[in-house]
Amino acid sequence: MNEKNNLTNQMPIHKRGLKFYASIYKKIIIQDIKSKMSYRADFIISTVGMVMTNLAGFLTFMILFHNFPTINGWDYHHMLFLYGFSLVALTPVQCFFDNNWNLRFQVQSGDFIKYCFRPINVFFYFISEVFDVKGLGQLAFGLGTLGYAWHKIGLPVTALNIGKTIVFLITASLFMIAIMNFAAATCFWIIGSGYVMVIMFRFKDFARYPASIFSGIFKIIFTFIIPIAFVAYYPSLVLLTPDKVPVLSWLSPLFGVLFFYLSYRFWMLGVRKYDFTGS
Amino acid sequence: MSKQASNEPAIVMEHVSKNFKVLNRREGLSGSIKDLFSRDYKTLQAVSDVSLTVGRGEIIGYLGPNGAGKSTTIKMITGVLEPSEGKIMVNGVVPYQNRTRNSEQIGVVFGQRSQLWWSLPLIESFNLLRDIYLVEEKEYKDMLELYRSLVDLEPILHKPVRQMSLGQRTLSDILAAFLHNPAIVFLDEPTIGLDVAMKSKIRDLILGLNAQKKTTVILTTHDMGDVDALCKRVVIIDKGKKIYDNDMDHLKTFFGSYRTLRMRLDGEDEWTERVIDENKTDVMKEIEKTQKEHKIKDIQVQEISTEEIIKKIYEG
Amino acid sequence: MNLKRFAALTKAGIQESLQYRLGTAVTLFSNLIYLALVYFLWKAIYASSGKDVVRGMTFEDTMIYLILATALFNFLEQFIVWDMSRSIQSGKIILDLLKPMKYRIYTFWSYSGAHVVQFFLTFTPTFIIVCLLTGGAIHIGVNLLFFVLSTVLALVVNFNIEMLVATLCLYTESTWGINIVKETIVLLLSGVSIPLAFFPETIRGIVSILPFRAVYDIPLTILLQKNGADQLSGLLPMLGMQLCWVVILTIAGNLFFNHAVRKITVNGG
Repeated sequence: MNEKNNLTNQMPIHKRGLKFYASIYKKIIIQDIKSKMSYRADFIISTVGMVMTNLAGFLTFMILFHNFPTINGWDYHHMLFLYGFSLVALTPVQCFFDNNWNLRFQVQSGDFIKYCFRPINVFFYFISEVFDVKGLGQLAFGLGTLGYAWHKIGLPVTALNIGKTIVFLITASLFMIAIMNFAAATCFWIIGSGYVMVIMFRFKDFARYPASIFSGIFKIIFTFIIPIAFVAYYPSLVLLTPDKVPVLSWLSPLFGVLFFYLSYRFWMLGVRKYDFTGS
Repeated sequence: MSKQASNEPAIVMEHVSKNFKVLNRREGLSGSIKDLFSRDYKTLQAVSDVSLTVGRGEIIGYLGPNGAGKSTTIKMITGVLEPSEGKIMVNGVVPYQNRTRNSEQIGVVFGQRSQLWWSLPLIESFNLLRDIYLVEEKEYKDMLELYRSLVDLEPILHKPVRQMSLGQRTLSDILAAFLHNPAIVFLDEPTIGLDVAMKSKIRDLILGLNAQKKTTVILTTHDMGDVDALCKRVVIIDKGKKIYDNDMDHLKTFFGSYRTLRMRLDGEDEWTERVIDENKTDVMKEIEKTQKEHKIKDIQVQEISTEEIIKKIYEG
Repeated sequence: MNLKRFAALTKAGIQESLQYRLGTAVTLFSNLIYLALVYFLWKAIYASSGKDVVRGMTFEDTMIYLILATALFNFLEQFIVWDMSRSIQSGKIILDLLKPMKYRIYTFWSYSGAHVVQFFLTFTPTFIIVCLLTGGAIHIGVNLLFFVLSTVLALVVNFNIEMLVATLCLYTESTWGINIVKETIVLLLSGVSIPLAFFPETIRGIVSILPFRAVYDIPLTILLQKNGADQLSGLLPMLGMQLCWVVILTIAGNLFFNHAVRKITVNGG
């Protein structure tokens, strides 16, 4: 009895900071990739699926341009740039946040409760469980498209431009991740909200068109409420029109971080709500 | 954190209640359509005024029929839920105020829901848990050594959880729950769906870990075999209220005047069972009564089983 | 067949769907936003082209087509692949296979309740709104009757495609992969994303003989009376083609499913 008690009293108060989470995440990913390698068939089928999706998306794009050579003043190569940019920006959400798709099943079946008993952040614990390699195929496709369009438009390859590209690609990713976090977390309140995720994921297909096509109230909605205008359009303007970059483009990294934070808070609020009602 | 007296209990609950707002669903198709337009909520008291003290190293059975408030209680002790009224202390920590701190000192096992990484070999899950709970390397090694002395670890250690049998999975989950040497472990239906041999293996493991590590164990189950094998004390809850809290031995003495009379009647293969309170009815009279109508092939008089006692308590 | 049983399954499905009140509202709302996206995109496209009619489609035609296609998509959307893969992994499928009803038939009628609800809650209101907004662009007459008939056939074709893909789950755990392939192919080749009229001739030739057209394009073409669907001579081949696919896919689906089930029962799951 005594031994146990002493042990408990001396238990140090652990602080788990960024370094702790980074090291845990690294370990999970390495283990996960190792185990994925042992399921070759699954990997191949998923990769084929990913390639098909991208080909279909590209085909849709080509069919449109086959009929309409410019859209809102944007020509083929500029549109292709946006397209590639949006594909690259979508990679993180697919690679690192894919478990959001399982959320509603786990919540409905009650299995989600298992994430609530560990001394680590619930969002991190849940999201870290799945790392999705197949998103990398899309990354390659997107980088190829982006590089081709970059070359055709004749953008200078400077350190500054590459730095800008990286910063604003990360920005764009943050918006996409946040949108999917919001969409997934609706399942904590609404049974049968699976369609929200499906449709939000289809919204991303519109990120590749210039946001200048929107007008009126919808311009505000697609900029600030469902910010698909930030998934490719505003961030990429920094590169495409360096002479007249809108203020919103420069502010987008800030908004991206803010929006991601809000989506995280919303997700965690959902967990509180789940605790109260979940079986 | 303040030092505690050495006889400080592991869990203290004082007058704890928990209320929920639930939807009243109407019946039938027309009811579903009405629910679309107006909804009717009512307050449900899942746990009402429960006080409970659990000492260190105790194994208690926390029993009750489905929906009695067992899982709500567990959720409050683990810090997932905040009680509506009353106070809870777990090993000197207020669980819902220090959820992270509290979860470092508890372990949880659900009989049918594995908490391990589905596709990883068990040892990798263990390694990850070691990192998550920040277990010292030496303690970790000692714990694995202890596990080896209690169960045959080798066949499962390098096997991914998804390929394990239910029994192996349950075993792994229990080992994982004890890995960070928690003060309290919650076991929810740990032997559900397992065969007799595996059940007894799991029970031996729990007893072994409890004896070695002085871990407090809270067991919720519908399997009275688990209770008989593991618990010295049982707490019974029904409709949110605590209706029984005492030793297993007391349970038996309390119902000591009860006997199970088993008779096999002529022309039947099955035993006919009847629970009789000897203070009220005489066993011999009961046999005579039956004999007038049937021919009795075989008779047994047994002490009442735990299963039947619990059934009697639930029925009130 | 036992009609009472089917009715009971449908009724249970309706009841279950109605409990998801908020879910339905959110679905409707998401659709409106999605349609706004579609509207702005195509408005910009037509404005940039400087032409009123492209490939025989006016802006209004395209919008009506895409809006109704989206509404139909909601109505037909099923998660059979996911549901089945889940029930395979949990072992629940064994219980379903033991039910005194053929699994495929049981599944079909279990989903039918959700279809009925979706038809009235999403498709019908969308249709009425589009009718009112476009003021007579959609001909209201006997074409509605053919449209409903064609939609029922589309539903069966869609179910069969879903079931064929879901059956693959008995062989592989890669649900995500096969589901995304199916979704991509159906979305693109059935005309939900872009009306088939815009496809280049060669691709159109291939698409027109594939079953996916029977899911969205044919019912909508009949409703909008394009491609000679206002004449019986144009209408009958379309319905005939749907019927053909119903027969082919039902037979193929049955054979494949039975083969797959035999395989798992032999291997013990």
